[in-house]
Amino acid sequence: MFGLIGHSTSFAEARANARNLGYDDYAEGDLDMWCAAPPQLLERVSVTSPTGTTIHGAYIDSVFVPEMLRRFKTAKRKVLKAMELAQKSGIDITALGGFTSIIFEDMNLLKEERVSAVQLDWQRFTTGNTHTAWVICQQVVHNAPRLGIDLASAKVAVVGASGDIGSAVCRWLQRQGVGELLLVARRPQPLIDLQASLGEGRILALDEALAEAQVVVWVASLPESLQIDLAALPRPCLMIDGGYPKNLNSKAEATDVHVLKGGIVEFWQDIGWQMMEVAEMAKPQRQMFACFAEAMLLDFEQRHTNFSWGRNNISLEAMDWIGDASRRHGFRALALEDQPAAAAALAPA
Amino acid sequence: MATLASPLAASPEGSALPNFESEAYKDAYSRINAIVIEGEQEAHDNYVAIGTLLPDQAEELTRLARMELKHMKGFTACAANLGVTADMPFAQDFFAPLRNNFQAALAEGKVVTCLLIQAILIEAFAISAYHIYIPVADPFARKITEGVVKDEYTHLNYGQEWLKANLDSIREEFEQANRDNLPLVRTMLDQVAADAAVLHMDKEDLMADFLSSYQEALLEIGFTGREIARFAAAALVG
Repeated sequence: MFGLIGHSTSFAEARANARNLGYDDYAEGDLDMWCAAPPQLLERVSVTSPTGTTIHGAYIDSVFVPEMLRRFKTAKRKVLKAMELAQKSGIDITALGGFTSIIFEDMNLLKEERVSAVQLDWQRFTTGNTHTAWVICQQVVHNAPRLGIDLASAKVAVVGASGDIGSAVCRWLQRQGVGELLLVARRPQPLIDLQASLGEGRILALDEALAEAQVVVWVASLPESLQIDLAALPRPCLMIDGGYPKNLNSKAEATDVHVLKGGIVEFWQDIGWQMMEVAEMAKPQRQMFACFAEAMLLDFEQRHTNFSWGRNNISLEAMDWIGDASRRHGFRALALEDQPAAAAALAPA
Repeated sequence: MATLASPLAASPEGSALPNFESEAYKDAYSRINAIVIEGEQEAHDNYVAIGTLLPDQAEELTRLARMELKHMKGFTACAANLGVTADMPFAQDFFAPLRNNFQAALAEGKVVTCLLIQAILIEAFAISAYHIYIPVADPFARKITEGVVKDEYTHLNYGQEWLKANLDSIREEFEQANRDNLPLVRTMLDQVAADAAVLHMDKEDLMADFLSSYQEALLEIGFTGREIARFAAAALVG
């Protein structure tokens, strides 16, 4: 059995969702009440791969909302309690979605394995980052040529390059062969280490990289205050918005700048669940975060282990393996033509 | 997924141990400890009383009751170890509303209400409070409390099992009893929040852990997530 741990994207949305799901009393409650509320197992689903294998899973809402990010103890407890519920529900492999994995990593919750009476078994959880990284790479390779960008000579910027997903994307693109990798991140030292391990790549500030790159892979969310100098961007420009939350679209609207939602996959058939409507997917019956799909893939393959875990452990072999599984079980990476606005831009003038 | 503007850049707070020797700590401890002692004593009395309503279970209930007395002695030793005198009159007042409701239900032979009050609400609250307490307890009390927590799970299970077996016939009484008593738990928590904070026990943590235990027990009994959310709202909303 696979599990997905998710959450609403805002408190207002969470209340609306609660009302839609029949949790009217929670919908009326204030943020303090929501802080104390326990996680909820909201939905059970069955999913069948083109191979004919059927797996069963559950969606757990951590009852976390981004408004709780500043309440460290609350955020931490929400993640651990949701994991505890997944484990107690007998789920073999659970993906940490949205802010859940960010909180887990940034707050170093590995130290906190003991929640109440339950000893958390890390083998049962995955960040899903290996699949996310693989999907983002597929999105680059598939969509850049459609915009007339020749990857073999193109400059590709990775924003958040030294992170778990970012460094994996860099290694994969290096093997694939791109014109030049432009490395961008907040902290200098991990970038220098990454550059040394790659043996290539140029470290740049964000605005410098944006002025040169035909492809920009964002695996970090943009600060609210950040403005992109649209006039300085090379044209055409492909931007893969692989961060969370996805807020690039509003910042990068311009002619010949193509923003693709990154790390999203589409399944080969409808799933019959409600939960991806909560995640604002364009086709909620088929589309989902690649990290969630990783839990399904591990369950399809009966590989019940923390496949993606810790920082910067994603190997090319692991990406190849999850990529093969992804294709075999009916997933494909979201493409520009799947997005109505972007598809229109692709059409010949 | 990493973020460029990590919202969690600041490090989370450490939960340092309180100064067990300070007067402020001992003062707060005198009330919290008294509540625990009184709670265990009442649990003993309540299980014996429930045995009068369920004669075929009286033996098992007497066994549970004896366990509670053992816990009470353990917690009494914790106070002695810190040189604190438990404020028992405070604790007796603290429990009065729940005790009165329990006694009224007992007099009417309402076993569902009695089980809800003792085996679900009080036990879930105790287990949560002990869990939150253990990491910030003095070494002596920590050891005692860890032993108690193991026992308490068997009590919660007892109430759960009986209610689960009788779910079809208990719904109405259970809902009413829950409406009458769950809000008392919140009031009681509010009453001790300041003292608990001195012991480095956070009110929100206590409430959240209580609700987790409560939800888990009710799920086990057979209520749905939506029903439980409705029940829980009685304690949370307003």
